[in-house]
Amino acid sequence: MRSYPVTPNIYAETTLNLLLKRAKKPKVHTIEEYISEGGYQSLEKALSMKPEEIIDWVDKSQLRGRGGAGFPTGRKWKFAVQNPAPRYLICNADESEPGTFKDRILMERDPHLLIEGMIISAYAIGAHQAFIYIRGEYPAGYYTLKNAIEEAKAKGFLGKNILNSGFDLDIYVVRGAGAYICGEESALIESLEGKRGFPRIKPPFPVHYGLFGRPTVVNNVETLCNIPLIVGMGWEEYKYIGPSDYPGPKLFPVSGKVKKPGVYELPMNTTLREVIFKYAGGTIGNKKIKAVFSGALDCFSAEELDTPMDYSPFGFGGTGTVIVLTEEDDIVQACMWVAEFYAHESCGQCTPCRVGTYEQANLLEKVLHYEAEEKDWEGLDFVNSHIQPTSICGLGAVAGRLIRQAMKKFPEDWERYRSKVKAGVS
Amino acid sequence: MTALPQELYKRLKEHVDYFPRKEQAILMCLHEVQDYYGHIPNFALVAVADMLGLPLSHVESVVSFYDMFDRGTPARHRIRVCVSVVCNLMKSHELLKAIRELLGVSPGEVTPDGRFKVIGVQCIGACSEAPCFMVDQDTYKFESKERLYEVLSRYT
Ligand SMILES: Cc1cc2nc3c(=O)[nH]c(=O)nc-3n(C[C@H](O)[C@H](O)[C@H](O)COP(=O)(O)O)c2cc1C
Ligand code: SF4
Ligand code: FES
Repeated sequence: MRSYPVTPNIYAETTLNLLLKRAKKPKVHTIEEYISEGGYQSLEKALSMKPEEIIDWVDKSQLRGRGGAGFPTGRKWKFAVQNPAPRYLICNADESEPGTFKDRILMERDPHLLIEGMIISAYAIGAHQAFIYIRGEYPAGYYTLKNAIEEAKAKGFLGKNILNSGFDLDIYVVRGAGAYICGEESALIESLEGKRGFPRIKPPFPVHYGLFGRPTVVNNVETLCNIPLIVGMGWEEYKYIGPSDYPGPKLFPVSGKVKKPGVYELPMNTTLREVIFKYAGGTIGNKKIKAVFSGALDCFSAEELDTPMDYSPFGFGGTGTVIVLTEEDDIVQACMWVAEFYAHESCGQCTPCRVGTYEQANLLEKVLHYEAEEKDWEGLDFVNSHIQPTSICGLGAVAGRLIRQAMKKFPEDWERYRSKVKAGVS
Repeated sequence: MTALPQELYKRLKEHVDYFPRKEQAILMCLHEVQDYYGHIPNFALVAVADMLGLPLSHVESVVSFYDMFDRGTPARHRIRVCVSVVCNLMKSHELLKAIRELLGVSPGEVTPDGRFKVIGVQCIGACSEAPCFMVDQDTYKFESKERLYEVLSRYT
C-alpha cells in the first residue's frame, strides 16, 4: 500500500464561512462529516428541479468563473445546452499559475463540496460523464478525490439512477503531468484525450466542440464549489453575499512578503489593501509595499491598493492571486522570474510565443546583468507587444503583460539598469 | 520486448479499464511507470503504446511534452525545488544551497548513488509555504538545513 502524500499545512481563514466552512481546518472531511453539516441536501433539491431551472438560477446568481477569465457561468451552460447530447463536464483542477493555491485546499480538505457541485452541474447541463483534471503536483488531492468519489458512490450520489432520480453520472479523475498550459481549457481537453496539451484554435469553443468533439463545459474547481451554495440558499439570497454586481464568496491565495500568507475567503468588495493589511497581517518587517503581482498576470503599484477584488474593468480580477513584493525586492528581477515562467510554460505551438517568450527572458537577463544595449530595450518592447496578437491561446496573449505594466509603473527601477550601461559601469 | 513486472502491469491495466476510452489512461500509465522505475525506460514506453493501442510515436510525443516524465537518468527519488516567482522572492536559492551542501548536486543532476535527482520546477501550488519543494509525492516547506536533512533521510 502506498502511503498518503504529505501535504503542506496551508493557512486558511474566512469571514463568510461558505467555501471554507470546513476547509479552513486542515484535514480531509469525510462524507459523514459533510452530510452532518447539511451536505448533499443541495443535490437532493437540485434533482427535484428541472435542469433548465438550475441553469436559470446559476445565471441569475451572476456567478462568474473563478479560473481566471471571469466568464459568467450561467451563460456558458446555456451555450452548451443549445448543442445536442452527449455533453461532458470537466472540472479544471490544473491550478498552476505562480502564487495560486486556492483550489488545492478545497480538494484536499473538502472534496465532497466539489463532488456535489459537479453532480448538480452535470445534471443541469445533461452530462453523464464528468472529468476532474488535477495537476500532477497535487497527488494528495488526487487520492482524496478518488476516495471521496467511492464514498459518494456507496451512498448513491454517483453512478446509476442517483437518489432514484433516473439521472446517471460517473466522475473520472486524471492527473496532469507538469504542464501549466494544460490549464487552458482546450489544451486540457486535448490532454484528456490522451494527447499533448496543445491549445486549439478558437472558435469553435468547447461548449460547441469540446472533449471528443462533443459540447463540453469546463469550469474551475472554485466555480463548481459555488453551485451547491446557489442551489442550497437560492439565487436571491446568494446575491446578497458581497457587492451586488459581483456576488458570491471568493478565495484569495496570498503569498510573498506578508506576515500571514494563506487562503482567504472574502466578499469581492474587499480592497487589495484590506486583503493585505486587515487579513494577511501586513508586510514582513512592516516594510513598504513595492508592488503586488496578481499571479503572473498583472502588476499593481502601492498607489493602487484601493483596487476592489472584483471582476470590474479596474478590479483585481484573474484568479484572485495576491503576491506581495516590498521595497526590499527588485522589480526587474521579479519580472525576470515571470518571464522565465512564460518561457518555460509556452507549449511551443505558435512560433511568436515559443521564440518570443524565450527572447523576452533572454533580454531581461541581459538587463539584469547591465548588458542591455539600446537595441535590446527595443527588442524587449517589440517582443512583449508582438506575442500577444499572434498567439493561439491566452498564454501568449498575456506573456508580456505584467512586464510591460511594471516598466510603465516603475520607470526608475528600470532606469537604474539602463543608466549604468550608458555610463559604462558594469 | 521486455515484459512489464506483473505488479506494474496490473496497475496499468486498472487505469486502462477505468476510463471511457483507453487512450485517456496514457498520463496515469506513464505516472505509474515513472514512479516504478524512477524514469520512463524504452521497453515500458513500448508496453504502454501496446496496451493503449497507440503508435509508439504518439506515446513518445506525449512523454516529451509533460515535464514530470523523465526519459533521462533514473533516480529512486526526485526532489522538485520550486524556483518560481514566490519561492524565489522567499529565497529558494537558500534551499538549493542547502541541497547542494547535503547532497552535492544542483538542479538537473543525480546523486552518484542514484538516490536523488534534483529538479528546478515552476510553482507547485504551495506558495504560502515558500520556499518549498516536493520529494516524490510529498510537499514540504523549507525551514532549515537541519530540518531538510531530517526530511531527506526518510527517503532511502
Ligand atoms: C494559459 C492558461 C492557463 C489556465 N490555467 C487555468 C487553471 O489552471 N485553472 C483554471 O481553472 N483555469 C485556467 N485557465 C482558464 C481556463 O481556460 C478556463 O477559462 C476556465 O477553466 C474556465 O472555468 P471558469 O469559467 O469556471 O473560470 C487558464 C487559461 C489559460 C489561457
Ligand atoms: S500562444 Fe503560446 S502557449 Fe498558447 S498555443 Fe501558442 S505557443 Fe502554445
Ligand atoms: S511559487 Fe513556489 S510554490 Fe508557488
